[in-house]
Amino acid sequence: MTKRRTLQLAAFLTAGALALAGCAPGQPATTTEPAPGPQSAAPDAPRELTYVYFTDGPDEQATRDLIAQFEQANDAKVTLEVVPYANLEQTLQARLAGNNAPDVARVAGLGPWLEDLADLSAVKDELDGQFIAGSDAFTHDASGNPIAVFSDLTMNGPLVNVDLFEKAGVSYPKLGEKWTWDEMVAAAKQVKESQGTEYGIAIDISAHRLSTMFSQYGTTLFAGDGMEPNWDVAKGATAIEQFVTLNNDEVMPKDVFLQAGSKYAAPADVFLAQQVPVYISGNWQVASLSSKANFTWAAAPNPCAERCGGFPGGKFMVGFEQGKNVPLASEFIAFMNSAEAQTHMAVEANFLPTRNDLIEQGIEYTNRGDDMKVFLADVALTPDDTYPANFSPVFGATGREVIAEIGQVMQGGKTAQEASEAIRTVVETNAAG
Amino acid sequence: MSTSTWTSTGHWRTPTLGLVIRYTVLVATTLVILIPLVWTLLSSFKTEVELAARPPRPLPAQWNLDNYTGALESFAFGTYLMNSTIVTVAATILTLVINTMCAYGLAKYNFRGRNLLFLLVLATIMVPLQVILISVYQVAAQLGLVNSLLGMIIPPAATPTGVFLLRQYMLSIPDELIEASRIDGAGEFRTFLQVVVPLCGAPIAVVTIFSIMWRWNDFLWPLIIAQDQSKYTLPVALAQFNSQLVVPFNYILAMSVVSMLPVIAMFLFLQRYIVLGIANSGLK
Amino acid sequence: MLPADTLAAPTAAPTRSRRRWLSPIKIAPYLFVLPNMIVFGLFTIWPAINMFNISLYDSTNGRTFRWVGFQNYAELTSNQAFLRAFTSTLVFTVAFVVLTTILATGYAILLNQSFRGRGFFRAVLFLPSLLSAVVVGLLWGWILNRTNGLLNVGLDAVGLGQPGWLIDGRLAMVVIIFVGLWIHVGFYTLIMLSGLQGIDPSVYEAAAIDGASPTQQFLSMTWPLLRPTTLVVVILATISGFQSFDFIWTLTGGGPVGATTLMVQYIYERAFESPIRYGLASAGGVILFICVFGFTLLNYLNGRRQDAA
Repeated sequence: MTKRRTLQLAAFLTAGALALAGCAPGQPATTTEPAPGPQSAAPDAPRELTYVYFTDGPDEQATRDLIAQFEQANDAKVTLEVVPYANLEQTLQARLAGNNAPDVARVAGLGPWLEDLADLSAVKDELDGQFIAGSDAFTHDASGNPIAVFSDLTMNGPLVNVDLFEKAGVSYPKLGEKWTWDEMVAAAKQVKESQGTEYGIAIDISAHRLSTMFSQYGTTLFAGDGMEPNWDVAKGATAIEQFVTLNNDEVMPKDVFLQAGSKYAAPADVFLAQQVPVYISGNWQVASLSSKANFTWAAAPNPCAERCGGFPGGKFMVGFEQGKNVPLASEFIAFMNSAEAQTHMAVEANFLPTRNDLIEQGIEYTNRGDDMKVFLADVALTPDDTYPANFSPVFGATGREVIAEIGQVMQGGKTAQEASEAIRTVVETNAAG
Repeated sequence: MSTSTWTSTGHWRTPTLGLVIRYTVLVATTLVILIPLVWTLLSSFKTEVELAARPPRPLPAQWNLDNYTGALESFAFGTYLMNSTIVTVAATILTLVINTMCAYGLAKYNFRGRNLLFLLVLATIMVPLQVILISVYQVAAQLGLVNSLLGMIIPPAATPTGVFLLRQYMLSIPDELIEASRIDGAGEFRTFLQVVVPLCGAPIAVVTIFSIMWRWNDFLWPLIIAQDQSKYTLPVALAQFNSQLVVPFNYILAMSVVSMLPVIAMFLFLQRYIVLGIANSGLK
Repeated sequence: MLPADTLAAPTAAPTRSRRRWLSPIKIAPYLFVLPNMIVFGLFTIWPAINMFNISLYDSTNGRTFRWVGFQNYAELTSNQAFLRAFTSTLVFTVAFVVLTTILATGYAILLNQSFRGRGFFRAVLFLPSLLSAVVVGLLWGWILNRTNGLLNVGLDAVGLGQPGWLIDGRLAMVVIIFVGLWIHVGFYTLIMLSGLQGIDPSVYEAAAIDGASPTQQFLSMTWPLLRPTTLVVVILATISGFQSFDFIWTLTGGGPVGATTLMVQYIYERAFESPIRYGLASAGGVILFICVFGFTLLNYLNGRRQDAA
């Protein structure tokens, strides 16, 4: 009796599975999509937008200020939806797959979204040619239509605990001066020993921050249009060797790196607890640290090895095709990147502007202006090939593998040379698509 | 403690040795379980500076609720707490209604397909949501349940364990009671509501407790369904903000304690039902 | 496709009179099971079937799908990350199930007779299974922090150094097994306890008269009589072990360097983190189901065979 029922059940399920096989679970990939072009709003399109955003602190309030202005001027409603940075990509992917994409988002890279971005041609005139030279190549689709705006530039660089350096009687370079990696490591070790801090140098666990070191040691993951492998195995191996040695010698917090798993982690709390004199992060930390740190700190120039300068990064503002009101979203994106809006963000949140006009005339920072000058000076020293490396659509996917490879070296499973060779393979595979 | 209990069952030749072993093992286990929890509770009153202190001091310098109020006020934990509460209450009510009805249908009626359905329910205990995550998400997306509290309430409501527990219990209700009610002219639904449900107090309590426990602690599904901070439940918020600079760890600790309190309180008051439920979920 | 549909169809052979078909007693059961079965069908049965379907397609965004047959499965068999997650899941689950069964049996025996404090110990043992696994993972991560976690501060104070619980791959696997047990053992102990209490005490009295030692008693009577309950524990623990995710996510995040990434996390990441591979993730889900199903069946058949013997 039970056996018969089990058979019945099995038959029922098998029939279901068979009936299904052959029905595509979604759109078949062969469907030709409607030709993209400037879309006009349906007459009844809601004047409402959702804006998915991640925050580093004070930039959230600055964004809310701007949103309020936009809402008033355009009789629209913009809902700011804040997600943690570490979960930004999963959230957006899930929303896209669930046909619940936001209208606008602030993202760290364009690679994962290229197929889903809205055409911003409605505001083409306000965007084209306005932003940092070279960025247009990455923010336009094959037919030259804008699909993203390079909305803020970031510059990686070290932040130092001035109190600790002074107490230890160790000096660090100021604006316009230079130090080498070896000098920075020596200084950090000296402060660590004399002040009894836990570590000497901390760095965010992200392939992007590590790329700063790679660039200084003379190599980047990608070049050209961002799809050209540029990883130099020998130079990369030297950088990895140095990085792993620093971790194994407890100059850097090895635990933070290994415990991060595949997730992004920022040891800013270690810096805030005054347990590390040098923290390699970037200008987006400035506003947040200035409200939280109860000690004197400053931005210092990036250390040089083969090359000087930092590593650029940036955020993009994008609209999604799935959005309900693409024209309004386009206007919003243009508004948020107008000279006035970028000035507001820069002043309030210590962002670096991306508009050519603002770069030329300079921003009057009212808070921590000297630190911003240090970052700006490093922008000038930063090698050109770092931009395509950062803009590469496959940077994110490659970065995860880079972190995993370095983790293996740190655990003793691989040599720096082997990891560097493996990274070269990953870079080549990902560049090939 | 008298030793007669031991000699009467004849389990141990030297009761004292047995007692020593028993208490040693149990006390050690208790310490392993309680130390982390007590440490969390104590630390939830400490400031960030105290948490970083080395060596750590066991007691907080000051007993105040600053971490609790701070987390609720400055980081919208009030919203997450509210979301968790709404989801838990609504999902539990829905589960009770549909599970009880279904169990009754399966227990007290003879209809074609009944056994097949029951077997199907049982079999899916082997198909937890984690396994079919992707396609459940697709269904939720097609039904527009994404990024809504409803999306966390409806999909997990038809619990196979609930149906099973209730059905097993209902089998023991005499058919005569139901027949008598029908003869009195009560309709099928009224019979169910006025005769059967009042008799099922114990299993309904068990399913209620289980459902509250499951929904309050749910993580993976809300993690995918809640797509902006305003929809986060407490566990999702804690997981997302932990290890990020955004929320200080003393607040995370305070909210961890908040997440544990309701289930512990429920356990203290309703322990009897929980034990009963687990004993019966032994699929005998 | 849904069971609800099959229910709605007339089940009795063509009814002789419309009236009889509509009698409440015939319709009622379908109406009673319908709401549950709709939810159940939509969110469990249909997705379970559709999962297999999706696994035959390739999709890099979850919206457009390209038929690839069994290629995803072929790819998984040579995918390093998946194979690692698969092996880790097996290691974790086997260790978890074996230790759970042993510990739950042990604790159940210790807690079976009445003695002072029994209620307290039983409650304490069960307590962790009530708590949010995410929160438990988070708290253990904090306690096991290498340099300033409570455990290592204690170990260091007595000269035992600071083991890297979460940064050494093997230790991290031990840690997730331990925390898994910490959470779940109390629940399974209660099941075992209910099995023990179903054993007639007179059996022991008879044995005591026969002069059987406690060990002999356990092996010759308690263990065989407990076998059905043990089977339940093994099956439930197997299902629970294979679906582990929550506490690991906040405890190790799958690290260090992937050492504790189990299959559920692999599936989650391939579905929602670039490079997205919906079909590949679904194939992983199907394989996970086959594992759960296979192990359950194996245990069940094994249990039956022993009962028959």
